[in-house]
Amino acid sequence: MSGKQVSCPGGLTRHWKMYGSCAVVLTFLIFSCLPDSEAAPRRKSSKKAAPKKEEPLPPRFMVKSKPVSPVKSSAALKSAEKIDKFVETNYSKHKVKPNPLATDEQFLRRVYLDITGTIPTYRETRYFLASRHPDKRKRLIDRLLDSDGYASHYFNYWADVLRYTDRLNNNVDGGPYRQWIKQSLAENKPWDKMVEEMISAEGLIWENPATGYLQRDSGMPLDNMNNTVRIFLGTRIGCAQCHDHPFDRWKQKEFYEMAAFTFGSSTRASGRNKDLYTNGDPNRRLRKEYQEMGQEEKDRRRNQGRFNRMIRVNMMVVTDQVNRKIQLPHDYAYSDAKPKSVVQPKTIFGKPADIKKGEAPRQAFARWMVSKDNPRFALTISNRLWTQVFGRGQIEPVDDMMDSTVAENPELMKYLESEMKRLNFDMKEYLRILFNTKTYQRQASTTDVPLTEQYHFPGPVLRRMTAEQAWDSFLTLAVVDPEEYRELPSNVQSEIVAVNLNTATAREVLDADVKKRAEIDKTRYKREKKYKYKGQLLARASELPSPVSPSHFLRTFGQSDRELISASSDSGSVPQILFMFNGPVTHMMLEKGSTIYNNVVGQKTVKDGVDVIFMTILNRHPDSEEAKIAMGEIDKNGPAGYGNVIWSLVNTREFLFIQ
Amino acid sequence: MRDLLSKLDGVGRRQFLEYAAKSALGVSVLPVFNQMVDAAPTKTKGGKAKRLIYLYMAGAMSHLDTFDLKPGHKNQGETKAIKTSVPGAKISEFLPTLAEEFDKMAVINSMYTETGAHGPGEYMMRTSYKKIATTRHPSMGPWIQRFKGRQNQNLPDTVLVSAPARHPSAGFLDPSFSPLPIGDPNRGLENTKSPSYLSDNSFEKRMDLINKFDRKFQNKFKTKDVLAYTDFYSQATSLLSSDELKAFDLNEEKAEDRDKYGRNSFGQGCMLARRLVQNDVRCVEVTFGGWDMHRDIYEDRTLPTRAGILDKALGSLLKDLSDLGLLDETLVVLTTEFGRTPVINKNAGRDHHPGVFSAALMGGGIKGGHFYGKSDAGGQSVDEDGVLPADFNATIATALNLPLDKEIFSPDGRPFKVAHDGEAVTKLL
Repeated sequence: MSGKQVSCPGGLTRHWKMYGSCAVVLTFLIFSCLPDSEAAPRRKSSKKAAPKKEEPLPPRFMVKSKPVSPVKSSAALKSAEKIDKFVETNYSKHKVKPNPLATDEQFLRRVYLDITGTIPTYRETRYFLASRHPDKRKRLIDRLLDSDGYASHYFNYWADVLRYTDRLNNNVDGGPYRQWIKQSLAENKPWDKMVEEMISAEGLIWENPATGYLQRDSGMPLDNMNNTVRIFLGTRIGCAQCHDHPFDRWKQKEFYEMAAFTFGSSTRASGRNKDLYTNGDPNRRLRKEYQEMGQEEKDRRRNQGRFNRMIRVNMMVVTDQVNRKIQLPHDYAYSDAKPKSVVQPKTIFGKPADIKKGEAPRQAFARWMVSKDNPRFALTISNRLWTQVFGRGQIEPVDDMMDSTVAENPELMKYLESEMKRLNFDMKEYLRILFNTKTYQRQASTTDVPLTEQYHFPGPVLRRMTAEQAWDSFLTLAVVDPEEYRELPSNVQSEIVAVNLNTATAREVLDADVKKRAEIDKTRYKREKKYKYKGQLLARASELPSPVSPSHFLRTFGQSDRELISASSDSGSVPQILFMFNGPVTHMMLEKGSTIYNNVVGQKTVKDGVDVIFMTILNRHPDSEEAKIAMGEIDKNGPAGYGNVIWSLVNTREFLFIQ
Repeated sequence: MRDLLSKLDGVGRRQFLEYAAKSALGVSVLPVFNQMVDAAPTKTKGGKAKRLIYLYMAGAMSHLDTFDLKPGHKNQGETKAIKTSVPGAKISEFLPTLAEEFDKMAVINSMYTETGAHGPGEYMMRTSYKKIATTRHPSMGPWIQRFKGRQNQNLPDTVLVSAPARHPSAGFLDPSFSPLPIGDPNRGLENTKSPSYLSDNSFEKRMDLINKFDRKFQNKFKTKDVLAYTDFYSQATSLLSSDELKAFDLNEEKAEDRDKYGRNSFGQGCMLARRLVQNDVRCVEVTFGGWDMHRDIYEDRTLPTRAGILDKALGSLLKDLSDLGLLDETLVVLTTEFGRTPVINKNAGRDHHPGVFSAALMGGGIKGGHFYGKSDAGGQSVDEDGVLPADFNATIATALNLPLDKEIFSPDGRPFKVAHDGEAVTKLL
């Protein structure tokens, strides 16, 4: 259905025949797998159907997902019931009428988007709607939590919160950290462990990828503390960085006492660090050697910057300097301390952090933060995940709690927090409980409840897809295997770039740069070529650069530029609509070989074709009136009529919103 | 600027004191060097500009090789000075067109800034604030919209051409203030061409089809977000059939006119900027990279090429705006993050130099044809009338009639001002 084929009416009919045999294979696959599962398995068996000789795939970073435990299932269901009871108590207390239960169609689409970040495929939709298994919803939730889609979707969420950038700072490439976040989510690393690793990590990023958290704020230790407290403890102490907090109780001194825990942590090693550099300052030694390498003057000049950079890259080591003490600012204006006086580490709430002899204060701080005794750590993560699932927090906003903050349903919030602790910060298990609640499985609310009013959860909130959900859903419609392309495993680059600065010669440092450019930078085009359409890399949002360029679909739909915490947006704009109308993926969707095209050409009658289109885009059957309108459009315009119907459906609000 | 010291805090202030001591400058009370500016200040300053074209030279433009020449000094390097249309004023030989248009330009040769790192320097120049990890400050276009309201109903009021991903954009302001990014000016506004496989007579019919299929959903969910989208759909539809769309299409211009601006991204970006302000877009920013000339600065494809592209594009822009009668109401800004070291390094290049650099203001009620401020003999530091990025932005804001003192609160309750605590250079207005 590309431009050429439009001038040839009946093109679609011809393709029907060509694709007929594929349709048989597809049907076979569908039925051969039906009894066991509601979520369609990956199409592994396609190997048998069409063995093709293709170029080997470029190296891909794949997460290893850990499934949820069947043993814990009944406990999860019991907990879900308990949550429903708490919610229902509030219904009667506040005279709220709960929304009706969601239909299978609504549930299916929503839970796919909420766990894997994309709408289900046509096949997955058919499976689920056809299944009569009494536990099909519960089983689908488990299947989706087990899938790699979970890590992909939640990576998008955390990349927004953590302001993840592929260049964490001028000298540190974020690849190892990025893949560590993904893998930690996939293997369901307990949240306390994941955070403790981030806060306490030491070393180079390829040795310890969790150092990426500190590298993101390299050279800005005060801002980093501010961000840490906001992200993980849901509390804003930033104002107190410069003066006593105007709306909360934090004093400037307290901010400095908190900052004192991490102030001595540096993201860049000094050449004079004798623990690391046993052979003298590598900077001095190697730069001197560089001048004596006997390069031609032109080359020497050209390579100097790259050479220096390669040394710096290898010196971006997170270490702790015992002697580096924080002082109050020179213009400190309060009477409780003198300007420039040294401040000792002290926690702002909860128990004191116990700094063991010989350890860096940062280690004690990390333990204090993720402890079950910390009054806000479990609270923050349980409220964050609740907000992700229901579209509204028990506490709003999720990262601005004060002593006076009261949750919408305090008993429920207390229970959620205690569940998070009981589960030892097992995020998948916690989400499993939330998705299994009746509260989640109700229809979305049809009217607004302003943020100034309490929302009592008669069901989830109607939400616009996030930028990533919209992009990934478009891909599901257009690209046969949107998961094939994956980012390059970070160790491919790290192994080239890592140089032992104690032993390396200047030549080796320079060679590392040459090799990196030849094998990583210059092969990028080749790696991506097969997956590009009109300049767009057709891969899941979680595989794309971070941040993407400002004119990308994702940014247009509000993906964060990763400069501010949780800066993504779901408000509309005209350029978004232009993307929906005429963007490259919209174009591609209707060309030969797209997913939806393949789905449609396999059908025998117009009526079946219409049904498939609705099932693919909106994940439901059309009602009789909609079917009539669509069939009328196709009767009138032939193949272009199919295009018109598909184009119109992706441009409905029903497509873009999650009900 | 009266009170430079009080507005610098912490490190900035210490550095400034050291630097002031070295250059024996301090808070200068010397009579102002300025042969071209009227001595008597007029009563109402600024406020003439209605639109802004902001040209950003990313990578740091060398002041000694563009607007602040030091003929005869050992730091000058290979660049020669040429005469301009204003007697006595000379600029770089690589800017012959701008030399002819110099009567329209106010060049500030006493810019200085706190940082010599690109990212922070660029951020400071665009926002007047130091880059911090806890908030993001808005750039000028969104500030204008914040104070003056939305001007263009179909398109965002600010368009960014070839902007880097790290552009501060709308900062903490609501996303509805976000500029529209244009990656490639030659392609203009993307996604305006219908997929060819759809029946072509039928845009309206397809819209009708959308609403038929969506009726039930829209009847059920009457939330403000859903309604807002319905609104955006009608805006997008009217845009696609409106003349405004043509503003983005450089193919509407004669080929020889396009040639005049230069057939490169910056040249075409400047032409696009002109077309957009003609069509009621309030602020257009064009970024031009490649000024980070650490080595072989005088090699043909380094400085001469860059400066040549700038010369042609900005020269044509000034001529056209003037011919169209738009220059008086359109403020054109040329700036960069900092200057380049006066002493040429061993790689025949110049490195980062925040001590002093050049920027220029044109049109929009700015008095043209002169230099403001001075660097010292070797182009090392400010000699007279130092201008910080915040002061520069205060001047821009004043020209646009924006309130400098008005505090706008970010969502986390912190107050910010359009030009931080900068003071406008009233002599330019």
